[in-house]
Formats: sequence, C-alpha cells, structure tokens
Amino acid sequence: MARTRSPARLVVALGVAAALAVFLLYTSLAGGGTPQLQPGDLRGRTGTVQLTGRVVGPVRGDAYAGGLRFRLRDIAGPASVPVVYTGTVPDLFRAGRHILIEGQLRDGVFVAKPGSMITKCPSKYRPASQGAGS
Amino acid sequence: MTDVDLGSLIGGALLAAAAVVLVAFPFLREPDLPPERDTLAHLTPLERRRLELAERRDRALAALKELELDHRAGKISDEDYRFLVGPLRQEAAAALRALEAEAGLGRKAGVPAAR
Amino acid sequence: MAELGRAALVVCLGLSAYALLAGVLAARHGRRRLALSARNAVVASFLAALVASGVLLAALLGRDFSNSYVASYTSTKLPFQYTVSAFWGGQEGSLLFWLLVLTGYSAFAVLLNRRHEDVIAWTVPVLAAVQLFFSLLLVAVASPFATQPPPLEGRGLNPSLQNPYMAAHPPFLYLGFVGLTVPFAFAVGALLARRGDELWIVLTRRWTLAAWTFLGVGQLLGAKWAYEEIGWGGYYGWDPVENAALMPWLAATAYLHSVMVQEKKGMLKVWNVSLVTLAFALSLFGTFLTRSGVVNSIHSFTQSSIGSWFLGFIVLVVVFSIGLILRRLPLLRARTRLESPVSREAAFLYNNLLLVALTLTILWGVVFPLVSEAARGEAVTVGRPYYNFFLRVFGLPLLLLMGLGPLVAWRRASLRSLARALAWPGAAAIATGALLVALGAGSYVPGLVAYTFSAFVLASIAVEVVKGTQARRAVSGAGWGQALVELVGRNRRRYGGYVVHAAVVLLAIGVASSSGYQTVREGRLRPGQSLAVGGYELRYQGLTRRWVENRREDRVLVAASRDGKEVALLRPGKNRYPVEAFFSTEVAIRTDWLTGEDLYVVADQIDADGTVYLKVFVMPLVSLIWLSGAVFVAGSLLAMWPDRREARRLAQRYVQPGALARA
Repeated sequence: MARTRSPARLVVALGVAAALAVFLLYTSLAGGGTPQLQPGDLRGRTGTVQLTGRVVGPVRGDAYAGGLRFRLRDIAGPASVPVVYTGTVPDLFRAGRHILIEGQLRDGVFVAKPGSMITKCPSKYRPASQGAGS
Repeated sequence: MTDVDLGSLIGGALLAAAAVVLVAFPFLREPDLPPERDTLAHLTPLERRRLELAERRDRALAALKELELDHRAGKISDEDYRFLVGPLRQEAAAALRALEAEAGLGRKAGVPAAR
Repeated sequence: MAELGRAALVVCLGLSAYALLAGVLAARHGRRRLALSARNAVVASFLAALVASGVLLAALLGRDFSNSYVASYTSTKLPFQYTVSAFWGGQEGSLLFWLLVLTGYSAFAVLLNRRHEDVIAWTVPVLAAVQLFFSLLLVAVASPFATQPPPLEGRGLNPSLQNPYMAAHPPFLYLGFVGLTVPFAFAVGALLARRGDELWIVLTRRWTLAAWTFLGVGQLLGAKWAYEEIGWGGYYGWDPVENAALMPWLAATAYLHSVMVQEKKGMLKVWNVSLVTLAFALSLFGTFLTRSGVVNSIHSFTQSSIGSWFLGFIVLVVVFSIGLILRRLPLLRARTRLESPVSREAAFLYNNLLLVALTLTILWGVVFPLVSEAARGEAVTVGRPYYNFFLRVFGLPLLLLMGLGPLVAWRRASLRSLARALAWPGAAAIATGALLVALGAGSYVPGLVAYTFSAFVLASIAVEVVKGTQARRAVSGAGWGQALVELVGRNRRRYGGYVVHAAVVLLAIGVASSSGYQTVREGRLRPGQSLAVGGYELRYQGLTRRWVENRREDRVLVAASRDGKEVALLRPGKNRYPVEAFFSTEVAIRTDWLTGEDLYVVADQIDADGTVYLKVFVMPLVSLIWLSGAVFVAGSLLAMWPDRREARRLAQRYVQPGALARA
C-alpha cells in the first residue's frame, strides 16, 4: 500500500480555509459594524451609528405619534444633540439615564431607528436589561 | 456583640485546627516512613506498555462489536462488512498476541500477569 | 460574624497556596505523604469555603445590614427565596459561590479518583492554582464580608430579578462553568504526569457531561427569563454576556464529540487537550466579560479592577497550557490516522470544525468593539445580522451532520452504502420540505432549510432505533418493547446521544419557527377597539389599576379570541415601584399547549386618556424551545448513567500504578 499523507490534515486545512473564506466574504460585503459614538463625536457623521449618552430633559412628545423628543449628552462632557425617537420606550428611560440608540444624524437632529433604544442601569451588578432588541 | 466575636473566634479556631489536622494527617499516620518507601506510585515502563496494548486491544474489540451491531442492524452492507471485518479482526488478534507476549515476559521476570 | 467569614476565606487561601506548592513539590520528587497532604488541603479548602458561605447565608437570612453586601442586595421586604438567591446576585457573593462550587468539585474529584496517584498528584496543584486565584480575589479585591454601620433598610434586589428563572439561572451556569475546570485540571495533570493514555478522559467523562448539561440548562433559563420578563419579543439578543455562556458551551460540545474519536481511534490527542483548555479559558473569559464591564453591553456592570485580574489569569492559563502541550507533544502522537473523508471520524472532525468556527466568530464579534477601539479609537459593534448569518452558515450544516453522522460507518464508508442508508431519512426530509413549501414555509428560506434538515435528523434517529431494536430482537428473541429497553440499556451513551440530538432538533425547530415565521402587529387602540393578528382577534376592553405589596399594577384588559370564540383574557401592563423608582413592563403570554404557539402581548404605552399602544407577537412553536431543555436533560442523564460492565472493564485496564510491581 502506498504511503499516503493523512487526509485528516487536508480536511482540516480545507475546512479552516472554507470557514475563513466565508467569514472574510461576509465581513467585506456586509461592512464592518456600527460605530459606537457619543454626541461629542457626532459632528458631521452621516452614516448609521450607535449613539450612547445621557438623556437630558425636558422629554416631550409621544413615541408613537410624532416621536419622543429629548437631548442626549456626553457621559462626561457638555456636548449634546437633539434626538427624535419612535418605537418602544424601555421602562428605565428617563432624564439622566444612560442609553444607547441607533440612528442617523439628519439636519442637526439625530433620528433614531424605531425601537432601537436600550437603557443601561448604572452600578448594580445585575441590572435589568431593558431593550427593544431588533 | 461579645458573643458574636467569641463565636467567630471559636469558629475560626475550629476551622484552622481542622485544616491543620487534615493537612498533617498523612504525616501523623506514618511518622517514621523511610524516604525509599515514601514514594509516589508511578507507571513502570512495563505498565505503560501494557496500558498502551490494553487500550489498543479494547479499541479493536469495541470496533468489532460496533461493526457487528451495525451490520446486524443493516446499516453496513454485507460487502462493506466483509471488507472491514478482516483488518479489525487482525488488529484485535495482534493486540491480544502482543499483550500475551508482555505477560509472558512479565512472568519470566516474576511479575504477576495483569488481566 | 464577618470576622469568621473573612477568616474562613483566608484559611481557604492559605490551604490553596499550600496545596499548590506542596502538590508541585510532592509530584516532582515523588513524595507520597506530601502528595496526600496536598490532596487533603484541597478537601479542607472546601470546608473553609463552606464555612464562609454559611456565614454569608446566615447574614443574608438574618438581614444583617452591617454587611455591605447584604445591605446592597436585600431588604427587609424581600421574599425568602430571593434573599437566598441574593447570595449569587452580586459580584462578591457570586465569586464566593464560584469558589464554593470549585472547592466542592475539586474535593470530590480528587477523593473519588485517589487510586490514580500519579495523575492526582499533578491534578491537585492545578485545581489548587485555580482555587488560589478565586480565594485571592475574595480576600484582597472583592470581599463579601465588608462591614459598615448598618442602615435601617437595605437597597433591595432589582424587581425584574425577582423571578424564579433569574434566581436559578446563575447557579446552573456556575455549576457548568466551574465544572469545566475538572476535565481541564485532569488533562493538564495527566500531561504533567507524562501520561499519554486516555485515563484523564475516562475519569472526567461524566464531569464534562454534567457541566455541559448544567451550562445548557442555565442558558435556557436565562432565555426564558428574557422572554417573559424583558418583553422585547425575543429570548436571545446576542449580547456579550449571553455569548459569554454560549461560547464555552459550544467548545464543550465540540470536545464531547472529539473525545469519542480519541477513545475509538486514539487520534486527536493534541486537539482534545487544546479543546478542553479552550473551553476552560472561555468559561473564565465568560465570567470576566460579565463582571468587568469591559465590553459595552446592556448588561454592563460596574467598571471594576477585577477585570484585569481575570484577564491576567486567563493569559497565564493559556500560555501555560500551550507551553505544556508543546513540551509533551511526543507523548501525544497519534497511533492511527484518518483514512477517508467519508467516515464517522471525518464527520466528527467536520462537526468540530463547524463548532469551533462558530465559537470563534462569536468570540470575534464580542471582542471586535475592543479591538476596533484600540486600533481606530472608535468602538464598532457588530449586530444581530452578523451573528444570525454565522449561526446559519455554521449551524445548519451542523444540523445536517447530526443526521449524517450515525449513518456513516467508522473508518471508511462506501458511497453506495451511504446512499442506501440515506434513502429513508432523505426521502422523509424531501417529503417534509415539499409539504412545508406547500404550506407556505418557503417565505423564510433558512427556516425551511432548518425544518428539512430537522426532519432528516429525526428520521435518521428513528431508523437507527428501529433497526437496532430489530437486530436486538433477532438476538434475544424478546418482544419489541423489551428489545428496545435492552438495546438502550446496552448502548446508553449512543442512545443518550441520540436523545440529546433530538433535543437540539426541537430547539432548532422552535427557534426557526418563533423567529422566522412570527407575526408581529402593533397599533393604537381605544377601549372597545380590536387588533387582528395571525388568526387572533384582540379586543381592548379596559384598564385596571391596583396596589400589590410595594408596587402599582396597571393592566390592560385584552380579550383574545380565535374564530369568534374567546380563548383568553390577557392582562399585559406595567408595574410601578415608587420606592425603587422603577418601572417594569409585564408581558402577557398565552401558550397554546396543543400547537406550541404563544400569543405574546406587550402594552408599550398606556396614555392618560385610556388609549393604549399594543405590540402583539404570534410565535409559532416557541414552546418547543423549553421542551427541548427537558429532552436534553433526559438524554444527558441516559448517557451518564452508570454501566457496571463498562466500569469493570475500565477498572481492569487502568490498574493502580505500581500495582504490578508491588503485588
């Protein structure tokens, strides 16, 4: 019987190559991901981003009719941006909360993707995770 | 407050004592063990070889059993069965023979046979 | 009593340090009494951890608010069961719980296997090292026994955590995470003892199975909690903290399969040791993610220094393991090799590749924000689409493999015999696929594929069982029922495995159905108005408001009917906790047990004028997900069930070292 190299190595190598190829193909086609920014970094960014910051009142409007309007401020800084949000509002939402929303800056106002708000509860080890995950 | 402190003290002392006893126990049990006898068992080369052979034998026997099972259940065709069973039987026989040989060597050296 | 708790932790620390040092010395120089002493130290450390845990539990139950931890997580009004669960509800307590389980497992493992002196001699210091790390954290960094002047009232437990699933979720997860330490320690111990045989696998097989089962159940509990409590209409959000438990579970799944190859063929030794190290490292990484707040997650916890400790320990573990494996490489040379890419060994190999690929893509998704922040100064997160894509790309072939594996013979399978074995399951799959397309399942292709593959797997298992029972009957002449029992009894691991596969299939069907074929509708309603969703009609009847204990419950009365007949009165709404200044959404779920379908109603907004905004989901077959958990446990138990014949055979093979010389 001729001494053949173990096909195991070939199988593994092909498998790894295939997995890697799929991975690279996906990430190159679908694009990286969504950048996570604070309002201070938002200047001039036009694409879809994830904005994280603290809610600044007064909170006006109705999330299901015309949109909820408030300002979002840097966690540790003065920069803020007006936000208009539609969709499910997590229970923990209120002025002073640390939230995350996805959306785009349009004409100086951050228009959020409906239902993309997630609130973070500070300091407790296992807080309630409140989010309308898409 | 005082009895809480006392409780902690007693509890702590008991725990520490128990720990010390457990840790020192092997030395307390056999205090005068000479170093030649205070050795950790390890596999002798003979045992290592036998272990390897025993694993080979068990693997071959298990593979045979599974082949029989799959053949009887109809998962493996008669043709495939005939093709596969030969080498497996040879492997099992070889492993058994090698183990016998080891046991024989061992017997010559005065070491009892392992099963 | 806090002093006793602190003292117990210091004793545990000291014992672990002793066990590590003495253990290494004893193993290197072959000193028996010292090795036994080190082993006893591990057992004693369990006692110490037990005492410390007892003190914390007593403080919790006694509402001792002079203990900072107790004051932070309980209150006088907290019900009994949640006061107990507060033990593992916070950083320090959960670390103590981890230590308790770790020392318990270690003590049990080294005592049970004390016969195998050479391996245990090295396993003891490895376990001791891990224990040392956690005791050090508890003594120096995060003590559960910090005291303060007692306030009148504790801060209480977050109301949405006061839920039976959330109370049980961490213990199950920890029993799983910590359980992965044992096979890792035995693997490293065997390598250090220069043993290249399978003893460590044989000794830790049930440990790994048990840990893996606990980890799986823990995740399902978490998912059920998210589904019922959080109310966004889902059960898994691909949040880093959720992934933190999934990754070690996937690695452990791969490991459980690849050890079977080592057992039968003596191959993949290096791979197995590496996999068990990966699983253990991922379990540490998982708890690191959850605690350190390093990755931005909606579960983001305290930013604390504990993260760097964990990271350091993980790096240490990985570097040490890689170094050890490289040094012992000659010991791990395979005796046989893969003969054909179409064989059961190869199927296991593909299974492993897919599972590891999935694990690594999830890992990449989790650390990517950190990497991008370090590289570009900007944290970039990957979203659901990324995870869903790879779950399908790697998960669906895995599903198919579950059905193919049992049909392929070991060593080499001729394509002809494979084609014949595929006949019935393949036909069943195609028929199911065609039927489902006719029923309209073609709207969601991944779901259709998942169903087709699931049918394939179930048919393949059914064929296995039938053929096996037939063969058994031919041998023993018993009736069908008796033959089946005999068959399963003699092949517990194989049939346990089949049951677990069936559980995974149920999970796949449940997930595919409830996410891919769900119907969602939302709308604004005034009293008396209706909303039609997926065959149901929901009529908003009115509002209720009442005070219960410490909360105000606002409920929307919704009458759900199907074909004109009322099937349920649902009460979705919101709870308001004035003291904690907390709101929670209470979802109303109506489960149709016959069809496994859930009607899931969320009252998103209740306006002052009585108008409500409802969001309604109809989730087909979601109950299968929870059912799969029960089937999963049953299968694992079957696979773990003691087999006296096998135990005897293994005992004969693995004699006590030096037994031949001494006899």
